[in-house]
Amino acid sequence: MRRLAGFNIVVALLPISVQAQASVEGRVGLPKSHSAPVVAKRYEIVTRGGALSTQPPLAVVYLAGSFSKVRSPSTKQIAQKDLAFVPSLLPVQVGTRVEFPNLDDTYHSIFSYSPAKRFDLGRYRPEERPIPSEIFDTPGLVTLRCDIHEHMRGLILVLDTPYFVVTDANGRFRLSGLPSGGYMLKAWIDSKTTREEPVELKNGETLHIDFP
Amino acid sequence: MISAHRAHKRRVTRFRTKLVAAMMLVVSAVTAFGLYLAQRNVTAAAQRDLQQNFQAELSSLDKVQELRNAALAERCRALALRPRIHAALEDNALDLLYPSAKDELRDLMEGDEASSEQVTPSLHAKFYRFLDGAGAVLSPPNPKDVGELDPRAEAQLGLKKLPEAQQIGYIRENSDAADEIVDQVVAVPIFSTETGDVISTLVVGFKPIELTGKGAGAGMKNGIWVNGQLHLPLLSKSAEAALSREIAKALPNSASAQNNFTVTVNAAPHLLFYKRLNPDSLFPPAYEICVYPLADSMAQLHRLRWQIGGAGALLLLGGFVASHFVASRLAVPVEKLALDSEENRAQRKRAEAALASTSEKLKRSTRYSADASHQLKSPVTLLRAGLEGLLAREDFKREIYEELSALLHQTHRLSGVIDDLLLLSRMDAGHLELESQPVNLSQIIEEWLDDLGALPDSPDVKIERDFPANLYIAGEKRYTSLIVQNLLENARRYNRPGGLIRVTAHKERGEVVLAITNTGRSIRGDAQEHIFERFHHGSTSSDVSSHGLGLNLARNLTRLHGGDLRLVGSEKDWTEFEARFRIAAQTPDGTCQTI
Repeated sequence: MRRLAGFNIVVALLPISVQAQASVEGRVGLPKSHSAPVVAKRYEIVTRGGALSTQPPLAVVYLAGSFSKVRSPSTKQIAQKDLAFVPSLLPVQVGTRVEFPNLDDTYHSIFSYSPAKRFDLGRYRPEERPIPSEIFDTPGLVTLRCDIHEHMRGLILVLDTPYFVVTDANGRFRLSGLPSGGYMLKAWIDSKTTREEPVELKNGETLHIDFP
Repeated sequence: MISAHRAHKRRVTRFRTKLVAAMMLVVSAVTAFGLYLAQRNVTAAAQRDLQQNFQAELSSLDKVQELRNAALAERCRALALRPRIHAALEDNALDLLYPSAKDELRDLMEGDEASSEQVTPSLHAKFYRFLDGAGAVLSPPNPKDVGELDPRAEAQLGLKKLPEAQQIGYIRENSDAADEIVDQVVAVPIFSTETGDVISTLVVGFKPIELTGKGAGAGMKNGIWVNGQLHLPLLSKSAEAALSREIAKALPNSASAQNNFTVTVNAAPHLLFYKRLNPDSLFPPAYEICVYPLADSMAQLHRLRWQIGGAGALLLLGGFVASHFVASRLAVPVEKLALDSEENRAQRKRAEAALASTSEKLKRSTRYSADASHQLKSPVTLLRAGLEGLLAREDFKREIYEELSALLHQTHRLSGVIDDLLLLSRMDAGHLELESQPVNLSQIIEEWLDDLGALPDSPDVKIERDFPANLYIAGEKRYTSLIVQNLLENARRYNRPGGLIRVTAHKERGEVVLAITNTGRSIRGDAQEHIFERFHHGSTSSDVSSHGLGLNLARNLTRLHGGDLRLVGSEKDWTEFEARFRIAAQTPDGTCQTI
């Protein structure tokens, strides 16, 4: 099971496929970060104007459309380490199981009241086995909180697509292995902002799309 | 005398009456003033006491309120820190809000009755609700857990916007039913721990803090005025409604947040205090209403009125007695004064009567003299005319002529006496007034000295004269002449044959001094002081014709002239009279005389 999931990830993120598939690359205009760049690249979830986003900003670019669920949902992890969710922003395909390993020496109590997924893992210690996990089967944004550490926030973006990628800190992204056809390319910037561009993908071509 | 005494009595009684009346007036005024002051004092004191009580009650209420507010604020701060609350609010999971808050607020709802009433009676909430971002009430999934409310009461919890600070409000529960109650609600903002924004508001409902009414005596009733209606459960519905109308009238007219006024509740006067309970609140204004019966203070006032009235009456009585005493004491000198003055008046009356009678007598005597003189004059004139007629006949014997001549002489004498009497009586009556003008005394003396020599029975006397011509005195010539005539006739009459008459006159310090000296037998020492009296004869010798009026007349006339006549001396062969006259300031021709 785990192996399969690992394989799927590799497939999804493989830039070069044996098949002649389409690719999209470009850049998402990210909100300016007010804080200095963090070397450790620790991203935290902040609320800005009522919208949740990562800090420093990151975006999730994904291809929206109806796809046959050829790829079975994988398992992913969001760890709690140093009283923070790592990663703090995780895009997953619908049906993905996400594990929440506790890597700290303290209790955590992960829960979510988000409409996309309500769950409450309750308090658990690092050695809790099996690792508490949830399956996210509704598209939408899920805010993760810890009932014990009120500052902890994590985001899981449950997407109805297998084609998505998180930009780098500069907003650059590259999506490959995409099916050809007309789709809507979307960039999730924060909980209230999602930009979109219609794309016409052709096999073997790499489309360049920039989100302002 | 008896009637006078009675009059005194009457006057003294009147005086006493007036004194008592004045005292009564003063005492009444003092009593009335005292009553007024006392009444004002009592009213003010009662009002002050009640006001203080009201303030004390309110301050205790404020203290509880403060405690409650602080506890609630703390609770909400803690609540806001709860990730589940945040999650429920921020993740639009409002249905999970109440369950999430339930644990947090459990002690609020389920406070241990015994301990909570003693320690924090304020924190025992009846219900709580959350407001959403727009200020509307979030309906709880399970009202039993958060305190049930009827829908109308619940709607009153909503606010137009979420408050930034704690708000105090009052809502009415079961407003239609008889068991209507008023709840105090405290709205506490919940701030996001991240953004600092108000994300929700917790509205907690409490039983209003009861005012105890301690210290104000029984009968204090308190209630709450909210949403234009009074909630005062101790009153009957009708009385409550009536009072409600009165408050509704008073409140909009009052700019102040607190005040008091007198109202009638159940036909008894009450003092009503009110104070805004939630100034500057987003909730509708609510007022604490305290109604204190004024019966106690009225009773006290009534008692005091009687006391002061009684004191006034006593004072009046005392005043009456005192005034009686004082009046009698004061009346003694007054009485004495009255008596004295009465005696004085009697004396004066007697003196006046005596004076009047004397004056009348004098008048009568004067009139008598005048009348007598007039009555005498006519017969004397007739007598003289008859005698002269007889003398004119020639058929009588010689002896008869002598006799007739002597009789005629007597009529002349009689006529002179009558003239003198007439003059004297006029002088006595004060009717004689001199028409004072310059009179040439020297000339008058000369004329009379001339006549003196021509008199038929003139003795052989030598006349010495030593006076300046034109000596003018102030007088009337007729009477000046009479004085000189009298003096000269006396000097001749009482002279001896071969004697001397010396007439001198000179000016002396504004006067003219006329001295007439004659030789002859002197006036006896004991008679000297009587010679100026009427009908006194200095000499008793029958050969001297004198009727004893001359000197008296001369002296009176001299005095009338503003001078005097006196006997300078009379001894041996020497008698001297001196007459003084005022010197005339001017002669008839206008020249001034040297004085």
